[in-house]
Amino acid sequence: MKWLKLLLAPAFPCALFFFLNFKHGDLPPLGKLLNPFAGFWQNNAAGDAMLSDQQLPELQESVAVVWDDRRVPHIFAQNAHDLYFVQGYLTARDRLWQMEFQTHAAAGRLAEIVGARALEHDRFRRRIGMTYAAENALKAMQADGKSRVVVEAYTQGVNAWIRNLDAKELPFEYKVLDYQPEPWTPIKCALLLKQMAWTLSGRSSDRIMSLTRSALGEELMQRLYPQYPPSQDPIMPATTQWNFQPHVAQKPEREFHSSPSGATKSIERISTDGSNNWAVAGSKTASGFPMLCNDPHLGLTLPSIWYEAQLVSPEVNVYGVTLPGTPAVIIGFNQAMAWGVTNAGSDVLDWYEIKFKDEQQSEYFYDGAWRPTQQRIEELKVRGAATVRDTVTYTHHGPVAYRKHERPFDEQVPAGAAMRWTGHDASQEMLTFLKLNRARNYEDYVEALSHFDCPAQNFVFADTAGDIAIWHNGKFPLRWREQGKYLSDGSDPAYDWQGWIPRAQVPHVKNPERGFVSSANQNAADLNYPYYLGWDYAAFERGARINEFLATKSQLTPQDMMNLQNDVLSLFAQKTLPHLLNLLPPENLEAEQKQLREVLATWNYEYRAGLAAPLIFNTWWRELFVLIWSDDMKVGEHELEYPRRDVTMNMILCEPASPFYDLKSTAAKETLADLVQLAFQNAQEKLVAAHGPFGPKWNWEMARGTDLPHLARFPNVGRMHLPTSGNSDNVNAITQTHGPSWRMIVSLGPEVKAWGIYPGGQSGNPGSRFFDNAVDDWVAGKYYELLYLKTASDKDARIVGKTSLRGGR
Amino acid sequence: MTAIMACFVLMLALQLITPFWWWIMVVPFVYGVWKSRSVWESARVGMISAGALWFAMVMWQWLSGGQQLAERVSKMLGMSSVALMFVLTVAVAVLAAGMAGVGGYFLKPFGRIIENRGGGGVRS
Repeated sequence: MKWLKLLLAPAFPCALFFFLNFKHGDLPPLGKLLNPFAGFWQNNAAGDAMLSDQQLPELQESVAVVWDDRRVPHIFAQNAHDLYFVQGYLTARDRLWQMEFQTHAAAGRLAEIVGARALEHDRFRRRIGMTYAAENALKAMQADGKSRVVVEAYTQGVNAWIRNLDAKELPFEYKVLDYQPEPWTPIKCALLLKQMAWTLSGRSSDRIMSLTRSALGEELMQRLYPQYPPSQDPIMPATTQWNFQPHVAQKPEREFHSSPSGATKSIERISTDGSNNWAVAGSKTASGFPMLCNDPHLGLTLPSIWYEAQLVSPEVNVYGVTLPGTPAVIIGFNQAMAWGVTNAGSDVLDWYEIKFKDEQQSEYFYDGAWRPTQQRIEELKVRGAATVRDTVTYTHHGPVAYRKHERPFDEQVPAGAAMRWTGHDASQEMLTFLKLNRARNYEDYVEALSHFDCPAQNFVFADTAGDIAIWHNGKFPLRWREQGKYLSDGSDPAYDWQGWIPRAQVPHVKNPERGFVSSANQNAADLNYPYYLGWDYAAFERGARINEFLATKSQLTPQDMMNLQNDVLSLFAQKTLPHLLNLLPPENLEAEQKQLREVLATWNYEYRAGLAAPLIFNTWWRELFVLIWSDDMKVGEHELEYPRRDVTMNMILCEPASPFYDLKSTAAKETLADLVQLAFQNAQEKLVAAHGPFGPKWNWEMARGTDLPHLARFPNVGRMHLPTSGNSDNVNAITQTHGPSWRMIVSLGPEVKAWGIYPGGQSGNPGSRFFDNAVDDWVAGKYYELLYLKTASDKDARIVGKTSLRGGR
Repeated sequence: MTAIMACFVLMLALQLITPFWWWIMVVPFVYGVWKSRSVWESARVGMISAGALWFAMVMWQWLSGGQQLAERVSKMLGMSSVALMFVLTVAVAVLAAGMAGVGGYFLKPFGRIIENRGGGGVRS
């Protein structure tokens, strides 16, 4: 009995130790996490204290860091190495977990942290060649002396911070997820850039469009999915002259038609991403100097996507937002110029159907012969389980993401097809940013852009000399019209990309007569532009609204620019709603329906947070949209691609007798008016079911709201249901999940002045007061004047301290 | 009281110089094997010393700007009040240390064997 006690006595404490010391499913290791000496309690706001003066052996000379009251570091270094070393060091101080987690996600390594549930996510990342793409980018970076120095210095800086990190200072998320940071390596910088490239250029509808064409036929495809949709107001003014001899891509005589297998679900064309940028010439501003504005819209999370910084050395003095994990400023300004980006949206990803000799996929048919494939072995480590080995087949097009019989993780990906993506090619995007940071004029800007391939972006530019410009910039394949809109034939060389659009011939414009340039993800140019770039761009509304505003105003001030970035007028509602109301006579409506109709009839088309009309209109439109298309866009198990909102709007306005209004499920022949009335009734029922009878709860902010979830989706650590105004078709294109990730306004001149804000804060620590300190101001549409210093000894009331970093030991 | 104070000070020192939380189990466990006179006394020494230590430290962290994070973590863990965050933290310390103390007490015969053989035991 005594010996039994001796054996059992430690069993209970051991079991408790096991429970408290290790992670169990989603439950963090409570002993470690709650330990007030090294657990989460240590990540409190005391960490917001100023960084103390210190020695860092890797520094070649001393570096001064000036801190402003929003925790923005203004780094004054005496050479490039030290500048980027300290950028890496300070970014890691504030965002280490975020930058490392994002590289794990990009590289398909999340299962190492969270276990088997991320395995398919990781497999997908490996299958689409994210690491392969980053390796190619890294080779190019290392081949360029300047880029190599910068990336290596940044890497050293991150590692210096990791090296000095003790257990209690470990970021909160490592404690919850129970793992440790690993040394930073240059490829992680490349991975982050590739992750952004995939986010912005990885969307593809080739598979569903092939199915849709099979079902609808060519003529309807041209009508319903046009290259140049109605009401477009393109980025390049219609008067732009294309004075060059274009290269021509030869279209094959035999047209390839594919009908891929597997069920599909329509990617409904209600845009979630939408960015804006514009530059106004001095002739239209009150200051007489150009102004430049940019608000890139992305999926929003906390910690924030961006990290603000000023980087100063003898050759550069640049301010803007950086991407945590990569050197340089991505969007910003210096004394001489400013630049900003929106996503180009041109098609740089095609899928090729591949015919393999056998299941081994060791040979594929191409140009009349069997060619060998290359096999890349991917090792997927899984926390708490055995490592999984995965073989990815590469053809000359690129990787084959999924075999014929496999179900893709991402439904847009066609099984049995190889992807050709410009993101896989060796490229020098970071060099572009390094050069833009140092650019003095239009020529420097154009030279910098020549290194930027993927993701293609609309780079807007303005300088103190008075020039403004915009380039729809990137490495664009030379295609025949609509090449790549559908699945391509991977065995026919005629379907390969036949070269590139020469960089000098990509759409661009400098100092147009109208006195401004702008972009909002819409078509780059009208059909007079001789090259085919793609078909799936943002609808007209945001671009047209920006152009309408800028064209009609003069003596523009920064406040006007702020108003425009926060503009919530919907041109879509302005065009569509009166027509819909005409088809909804009040005499046929019940009392509450009359009330709703009246709310809409008196609406000023603005998506303001407290209004009921945006909620009613959006619900009504959605019901109508689904009624029009859901019966026509389904063939067997396949859901076809729904036509876009702007195409649907045009049909409603211009085709009163379209056959698509008839509901196939009924014997009667419905008209547009029937559908409009039915949709209104359905919308009312849905809204009553969701919010009760018409009343104060029916308002845009309560029904929609915007979420800033934590990046790892920890519940209740982010900021949820923010009372935002705006909608995806407004200039202030906010949705529940996406929105302006950075709003910036730069007024150039002898003394450059700038304003900016992003939804979050400089710190990635949920315990810091700088984690989300800007969120409420961002919701309210406020801005902070950015502190642009010339020297480390400049005086300003917003400066709260200085840190001196010295080299040597 | 002396035992509680001694364990408190020892755990404090060990927790300050190392990152390991489990000193609040090891110290009461060793006390239980070595010095405890009853199972209740062994549990009590561990529970009070570890509970007091973690409570004091949590208070310190709270007053040092820990409110916002404590609120976030309490919500993340599905708690209705941040006060429960205190309760949970102290409860973990009390439970872990108390159970370790009890486990140690039941190993006393093993401790005596070692002591009698004069090998490896901790001596005062």
